[in-house]
Amino acid sequence: MSEQALLDVQGVSKSFGGLQALTDVSLQVRTGSIHAIIGPNGAGKSTLLNVLIGLIEADQGHVLFDGRELRGVKPHSIIQRGIARVFQTPQVFPAMNLLQNVAIAALARRDGQFSIKAAETLRRGHAIYEEAAATLERVGLGDHLEEQAQHLARGDKRRLELAVCLAARPKLLLLDEPTAGMSRHDTNRTIDLLKEISETGMTKVVIEHDMHVVFSLAERISVLAQGRIIAGGAPDEVRGDPRVKEAYLGGAQE
Amino acid sequence: MSGDLINALFLQILTGLQLGMIYAMIALGLTLIFGTLGVVNFAHGALYLIGAYCAVIIAGKLGFLYAVILVPLILFVIGIILERGLIQYFYDRPHTDQILVTFGLAIVAEEALKWIFGANNIPYPVPSWGQGIVMLHEYVPFLSGFVVFPKWRLILILVSLVVIGALFFLLQFTRFGLVIRSGMRDAEMVRFLGINITRRFAAVFGLGALIAGIAGVFGGPITQVSPAVGMKMLVPSFLVVVIGGMGSVAGALIAAVVLGMALSFTAEYSSIQQIIIYLVAVVVLLTRPRGLMGKKGVFE
Amino acid sequence: MSAMSKTSGGGRELLVIGVFAAIVLLLPFWLPLLGGYEALATKIVIWALFALGFDILLGFTGFLSFGHAAFFGTAAYTTGLMLKHVSADIIPALAVSVSLTLVLAIVLGFLTLRRSGIYFSILTLAFGEMLYAAVLSIFQGWTGGDNGLTMSTKPTLLGLPMQGLNVFYVCAVLLIGGFALARQIKRSPFGLMLMSIKENPMRLEYTGVNVMAYKMMAFTISGLYAAVAGSLMVVYEPYVATEFMHWTTSGEIVIMSVIGGVNTLLGPMIGAAFMLFFENVVQAFIGEQWKLILGAIFVLVVIFLPGGFIDLARRVRKAMGHMVPSRRDNVPDAPGSMREDRQKGRRADAQLGGR
Repeated sequence: MSEQALLDVQGVSKSFGGLQALTDVSLQVRTGSIHAIIGPNGAGKSTLLNVLIGLIEADQGHVLFDGRELRGVKPHSIIQRGIARVFQTPQVFPAMNLLQNVAIAALARRDGQFSIKAAETLRRGHAIYEEAAATLERVGLGDHLEEQAQHLARGDKRRLELAVCLAARPKLLLLDEPTAGMSRHDTNRTIDLLKEISETGMTKVVIEHDMHVVFSLAERISVLAQGRIIAGGAPDEVRGDPRVKEAYLGGAQE
Repeated sequence: MSGDLINALFLQILTGLQLGMIYAMIALGLTLIFGTLGVVNFAHGALYLIGAYCAVIIAGKLGFLYAVILVPLILFVIGIILERGLIQYFYDRPHTDQILVTFGLAIVAEEALKWIFGANNIPYPVPSWGQGIVMLHEYVPFLSGFVVFPKWRLILILVSLVVIGALFFLLQFTRFGLVIRSGMRDAEMVRFLGINITRRFAAVFGLGALIAGIAGVFGGPITQVSPAVGMKMLVPSFLVVVIGGMGSVAGALIAAVVLGMALSFTAEYSSIQQIIIYLVAVVVLLTRPRGLMGKKGVFE
Repeated sequence: MSAMSKTSGGGRELLVIGVFAAIVLLLPFWLPLLGGYEALATKIVIWALFALGFDILLGFTGFLSFGHAAFFGTAAYTTGLMLKHVSADIIPALAVSVSLTLVLAIVLGFLTLRRSGIYFSILTLAFGEMLYAAVLSIFQGWTGGDNGLTMSTKPTLLGLPMQGLNVFYVCAVLLIGGFALARQIKRSPFGLMLMSIKENPMRLEYTGVNVMAYKMMAFTISGLYAAVAGSLMVVYEPYVATEFMHWTTSGEIVIMSVIGGVNTLLGPMIGAAFMLFFENVVQAFIGEQWKLILGAIFVLVVIFLPGGFIDLARRVRKAMGHMVPSRRDNVPDAPGSMREDRQKGRRADAQLGGR
């Protein structure tokens, strides 16, 4: 199984001062799968994602992506290896239009972490903008190409950020509560979109509170509680696991 | 250790303390204002300058004691007016705009003072009871022989210590201080708790100005009183704040003493002394980018 | 810039630069009509070049430097020393000045760019003052200390004496070249990266972009513009004033850029022209208080017209009924979401504890 793992987290621990946020967390994410990480508030889910992309450095353990260590690598280099992340509060370039927002990611993919492409002129119709427009079309924002990102509704900002991430064509996409604050209708649209993207073979790790989303998307689920992985497996196994019920679902199912 | 060495060391420490304390008083206001309001006040040197000019006038007309009482009050009022009348509209503007507007105010204040009083120093005589020197060897047992220190500089050190002590008391033991300290940690949270932090923030700006005013009254005779002094005081005070850690009161105090000592102990090598505080800043920032006591997350 | 002339967009670009070149090259002839004098034209062109480079840093990336006098002054002193001791020809002087400033920009960038906006402003101010202090003390023997660096050299360019209109045209050609370069940067992928730093550096880093490297480039490029301007200042008048290194020079370039309107390239140059015109022409009428009035104008612009004079033109046109695409000339440095949160806090404050 581990040969197939795109992402291999081995014994990661992290504490903030006295607070143990993650304890000996290990999990494998298989290539091409949608892997959900669930758990009650404060379980350490976001911390785990932050460790993966180098926003926080783990105290112990290893993070292997495609068989290569990520710990100690600078964030932009981690991203360049083929990871993208949608944040919990959508992070976009507020005063730029949607095309520019997505073009930046497309350029980062095309030119790498740094390049001085000063002789090239970006104008309407440039291949990068065409590509950006297509990506925006895909997430359902094709009608707003020239709009400034800051004027979008929150749900649309989330979609824009997703487009930014997709333009990077990552091998692994990390999503931190991609449907938080969305209406049921928008949530379902997002689920469909994520499923559709999966057909391209992109691996995804999703943090989610909404069990509807989790069980309609995930092929594997890891349950995090108090910084530890307490269960993991296919959705049905997790659903039936008494430990999970105790730690999480018991409270949430009513 | 020989007696001469002890004497020299003692004097250098005292000089360092005196130099550091003026910066400390300006820096404390800066760091308080930054910590609570998130505003970097480029006009803080100008407030010191206004304090010094007011002190010269009031001391000349009414007497020095009036200046000690009135100048801090005047500066407090100026601070409140500034915050309510202008700065408060910049809390939601980008940080760069806050810097620009306070920088503009500093220029306007400096040029206005230049217009009224001229570009040169104006004399600020030390009151008669503060003139002369103190025979330190008469009071300090481990000093031998003849050790003297200018009386006014000693008074400046004492006044600064009292001001800083009072500020710490205010922050540690009063309800006002509690709100300010929690505001420095998390302004949004305190707002959500329903405490009118805005009005207290105006008071913080006034308080910072008031301390700058006291510094102006007592520091004026030493730093001289001319329009250029404001910026001259501001830059080292900024360094004090940065070295101490943005928003840290204790850090500012420690950094001020460190810089004062650095200045005092390099006094014999004047070309080194000119840049020593910047060198200290470089070393601290390279080894501890957050500053001595800076909080994680602030300014990162 | 081979891409420039390929399409109709390239043709428009040539037109813009052509018009700009015409206005600049004819400056000595139309400026006196406004009460200026010929030599003022040279000064305006030099400071416009400085302001142009400053906009690549402040306008594009949102980093507000208070230490650009360090570049301007270092280049001025280096040029002065080269002209005085090595050769009266300005080419070696410019080459050495620019190279030295490049090294300085990399060192200062390394020290100051690791932190965010406000920190950066304070640190650049501090290091600028450090160099000023060093010039007056440690390097006193070379720089002439408080008296400035005086010389009797008459600079030349390949034998051509650098006086009067000759100096002006050298400066003007460099400005036009600098303008074309800055515009091309703004339109390029490189420029898009620089401008996105101002928008949201965190998003940029987590899009796989080495933000530090781009910041460093912007800082260095703007430092080099400042260096060329500083060198030209000494070519224009073979004397190095200590002020060139003083924070007031850094302050002046900030004021020029902001009153003109940052992130527009044209705005800062207009600001430079305005300020020099004010200093040299209006001063004759209102005397020494011109600085006070300029300071007041600056404060008023920051408060009421954050987009600068350029934005005023836009607003007027808009008021007159022309539809102009909205443009953000302001200098944002906080991600939008942060500002929203702060506003939320303020509203909550007003509701909960306001009365």
